[in-house]
Amino acid sequence: MAVVQKKKFPVGQVVNYGLLTLLAFVCLYPFLNVISYSLSGYNAVLSGRVTFYPIDFNVDAYKQILGKTQIWNAMRTTVTVTLIGTALSLILTIFAAYGLSRKDLPGRKLLTGMILFTMYFGGGMIPTFLVVKGTGLYDTLGALFIPQAVNVFNFIVMRTFFLNLPESLEEAARIDGASYMKVLIKIVLPLSLSIIATIGLFYAVGYWNTYFDALLYIQNPDKYTLQLRLRSLLFGEELNNSNANLEGMGTQVMTQSLKMATVAVSTVPILIVYPWLQKYFVKGVMVGSVKG
Amino acid sequence: MSTSTNTYNPTPKTHVNRTLIKVWNYKWIYLMLLPVMAFYIVYRYIPMYGVTIAFKDYNVFKGVMGSPWCGLEVFKKILTNKNFWLAIRNTLVLNFLTLLSSFPLTIIVSLMLNEITGAGFKKVTQSVLYLPHFISWVVVAGIATNLFAQQGGTVNNMLNAMGVSSLPFLSDNKWWIFTYVVCNVWKEIGWGTIIYLAALTGVDESLYEAAHLDGATKMQRLIYITIPSIKSVIVTMLILQISKMMTIGLDAPLLLGNKKVIGVSEVISTYTYRLGIESAKYSDSTAIGLFQSVINIIILLAADKFAKVIGEDGII
Repeated sequence: MAVVQKKKFPVGQVVNYGLLTLLAFVCLYPFLNVISYSLSGYNAVLSGRVTFYPIDFNVDAYKQILGKTQIWNAMRTTVTVTLIGTALSLILTIFAAYGLSRKDLPGRKLLTGMILFTMYFGGGMIPTFLVVKGTGLYDTLGALFIPQAVNVFNFIVMRTFFLNLPESLEEAARIDGASYMKVLIKIVLPLSLSIIATIGLFYAVGYWNTYFDALLYIQNPDKYTLQLRLRSLLFGEELNNSNANLEGMGTQVMTQSLKMATVAVSTVPILIVYPWLQKYFVKGVMVGSVKG
Repeated sequence: MSTSTNTYNPTPKTHVNRTLIKVWNYKWIYLMLLPVMAFYIVYRYIPMYGVTIAFKDYNVFKGVMGSPWCGLEVFKKILTNKNFWLAIRNTLVLNFLTLLSSFPLTIIVSLMLNEITGAGFKKVTQSVLYLPHFISWVVVAGIATNLFAQQGGTVNNMLNAMGVSSLPFLSDNKWWIFTYVVCNVWKEIGWGTIIYLAALTGVDESLYEAAHLDGATKMQRLIYITIPSIKSVIVTMLILQISKMMTIGLDAPLLLGNKKVIGVSEVISTYTYRLGIESAKYSDSTAIGLFQSVINIIILLAADKFAKVIGEDGII
């Protein structure tokens, strides 16, 4: 705050910094716990001595988990779904947001209304399941991104951003005879990189973390995504769902270290991408939430 | 462009013609919108028609269209089923307790972050607090199991070290609810602050300066300036959250839950899933989904009305 403080010991500030540091630690501790377990020796884990740092440091769990072809297959499936899904979602969301931000487009209200209505009412699990099956996507990777291609919230955020761009730039280009496609690619998109990064991150994280859709639509264990594979490795048969019966590895007892190494391996990609993109998304979310 | 409409009244015919010309000019835009609308029609609107199976005796071989109507039979069946009401109760309990803890905490953390003057510290803290939002529920549940297990869980190890005996965080109904709420709060508290921080940056600086000159303490400024300035965001968020009381994600209760606590972890979404996908009772499951949607819309409309009555922006 801009207000100048009187010179005295700022007790409130110190307490505030202290509490927030503690909160940040609470947010990070579970990750620290995962890493410590995954790098600790079997006996140290079993006797409950691991808390804040690895004991009897070793990387056996990682060697073991990275040697499993199932993990690599699942990783490849998830990377494929994430890349294709994010690209498709971004293109469609940009098309929808750009098109429906043309203020005098005939039918704009109706089309926007049709999209927004789906936020409030939907067919639900089974009718959607039947349509996914009916369109031939059942047990294909397409089921993981095609039925989720456009997210209404992301559409709203993107459209709000486009609506706030200065109109004069686009109009000038239109008068010079540029097509809408050209305006979109040459003028609008270069101005929108921050929002595209934000929405792209949301879609990518969504696809990376997709669990329920994979549970519903993927039957063949060869097509398991990382989250499904992770679930079956971590919880085995416990979840009592039909897919688990087809599991090859489900019943195998895994050590805590191995489980936590699996968790670490599947989370690392997000942790790598996150710092690069996080400077964008706060701004992006604010644009959407304030005007949404 | 359309400014000329002020100067003369077009006959209906020229009006239609001009609309058609506009539509033609926008042909590439419509082409862009085509796949989007196709997506919404196929994967959102056709399933809406599919809810008719809630009123039918669904037969896999006859399909959605061909199955015979049975009126409200399915609804009668589910509304008299005690498991259905149990799922509703559990949904409300979990949602309510999560809201009760996360809502005030999110506001408090936002206010605390807002008081931080060091830009570097603030940025790092925010980044760390947002991180859990991006972690999948499978991972969260995996970590939670490791932390909260009764035998050898880290939390219980720490409790034991302090002389407290192990607590059944995952296997006792009450403790499981506690664990569920903790995991939810942990995952979303940081992310939830974004909207409040956005609102807080909009507070007029001159108000603080004036208050400072009048000798107001920090606490007084917080109570008389900051909180009133973001009151409308707080109210809107609260109404928005309350309107989602009947909606619950499937991942968290399904992954954190286990057979021992099924009495409190079975919520509407997991019940619909088990009924529909595992037991293949399509009509029953759809009927529950429809019931939930209708209740949702009623709550939403009521909340919107309420927001407008108390002078806030609507939420629809």
